[in-house]
Amino acid sequence: MSENTFNKNILIAVDDSQNAQRAVSYVSQLLEGVKGFKVLILHITNPPEEDYFPTSAEKEKWLSKYQLKVDEMLENYRQILINGGFDPEDISVRSIFRYCPSLSECILLEQNKVQYRTIVVGRQGISRSEEFLFGSISSKIVNHARNCTVWVVE
Amino acid sequence: MKTSVSQENLRQMASRWLPISRSSHQFRIHTDTTDFFRVEYGDVVLLGGRPYLIRHNAKEGRFGLDDEVKFWVKRAIDLNSGSPKIIKLVFYEKFIAHIGGIPFECYRSPRKEARILDLVADHKNFMKGYSIKDVKGNLVRVLDFIKGKPLSHYVADMDMDHQNYLYGRFPEILKHFMECIDAVRFLHNHGEKHGDIRRDHVLIDRDSGRYRWIDYDFNYRHRENIYGYDLFGLGNILVFLVGMGDVLLLDLRKNDHPALSALREEDVNIVFNNRVANLKKIFPYIPESLNRVLMHFSKGANWFYENTNQLLDDLKEFQTLTGMLP
Repeated sequence: MSENTFNKNILIAVDDSQNAQRAVSYVSQLLEGVKGFKVLILHITNPPEEDYFPTSAEKEKWLSKYQLKVDEMLENYRQILINGGFDPEDISVRSIFRYCPSLSECILLEQNKVQYRTIVVGRQGISRSEEFLFGSISSKIVNHARNCTVWVVE
Repeated sequence: MKTSVSQENLRQMASRWLPISRSSHQFRIHTDTTDFFRVEYGDVVLLGGRPYLIRHNAKEGRFGLDDEVKFWVKRAIDLNSGSPKIIKLVFYEKFIAHIGGIPFECYRSPRKEARILDLVADHKNFMKGYSIKDVKGNLVRVLDFIKGKPLSHYVADMDMDHQNYLYGRFPEILKHFMECIDAVRFLHNHGEKHGDIRRDHVLIDRDSGRYRWIDYDFNYRHRENIYGYDLFGLGNILVFLVGMGDVLLLDLRKNDHPALSALREEDVNIVFNNRVANLKKIFPYIPESLNRVLMHFSKGANWFYENTNQLLDDLKEFQTLTGMLP
């Protein structure tokens, strides 16, 4: 990463898991709201495929319920950062609804758009078997991220 | 083609398949298939005006359960043509399956199967059929029955020693199976998963000799790797084919196999730890280039295949290096 592209903008990619909460807490505790850093808490809602839902009504019901959960989750994460000393003005929250064959690709796409130079993700702690079958978002981000730094929080 | 559905007409058309004692049989005719339990042996299902005589329910084993009856899948006869069919009625099933102890959500989708049937209509390595809505809008799939045995049975019925199998029969089997892998690549290139890749979901068509995939209504909630479970299924079948069956640790122990002492944890299947993936330790004459492919599905793998192209490329390399072509 060249000096021209460096910035203190941090993108934390989250879901409703403990790993994601750890990632947010880590940023909060490490930086303690030091001035100059801006944090974006990003959640990508990757809905199940259309085939999962017998009817569109069921899909709408799922989405509404999920969106409420996401809003609450993002507010909790925002509060963690505020409680850690971050100025609310320096925190932004973004929830994107998109069907993603690969969540890591979607995250990297967003990172590329907003040009935040640090990505933070929580490590899922999955077994090799599970990684083999279903993939690992953090591993893929580490392998494919360009022009940025990746923090993987255990 | 709409057919007159009088009882007399149906009795005439169905006479080949009805015992004489039922010559005055009154058919129950279904145009609404919502309650598939009510569609029973000897009934007629009318789809788009076309009558199908219903026979037995299909059966299948899954996740350790032998031969569960699939009440939504009916064997049938197309009364216009006399050809055997499989009729799949609508059943939205969702459940958490476990594979190697890993939970994942699975579901059935008539829409998915219907879509794939359209997609593969001209592809020689898939089961064929069409979808049609009944009067209540249920998306029913009518599939052409494939006469032939599953690949698993074909291999299990081999009566020969492994070395003769590997050098005599396996090259031909592999050639066909690579067509199946290419067929899955076709699905993936169109954004579709097979969803239920298993050794008994490849049928060897008795008429054409082709290997053909069946059963695409099953799906799984993928996570980061959309095609990982499909790839895993392909790898399992490949290891099964190379080994002329599963090579299980339990069997090796029972027989006090000499290779047991050489086997390590990294030599077993990455998910099914009771199966050997590093088959060269059991059959030392397996070419290294082939064994390398199998090892991508082992616990010791440093790197996993990400797509079917990579798997096919490595298999082609094995064929080229060894000349093991049919």
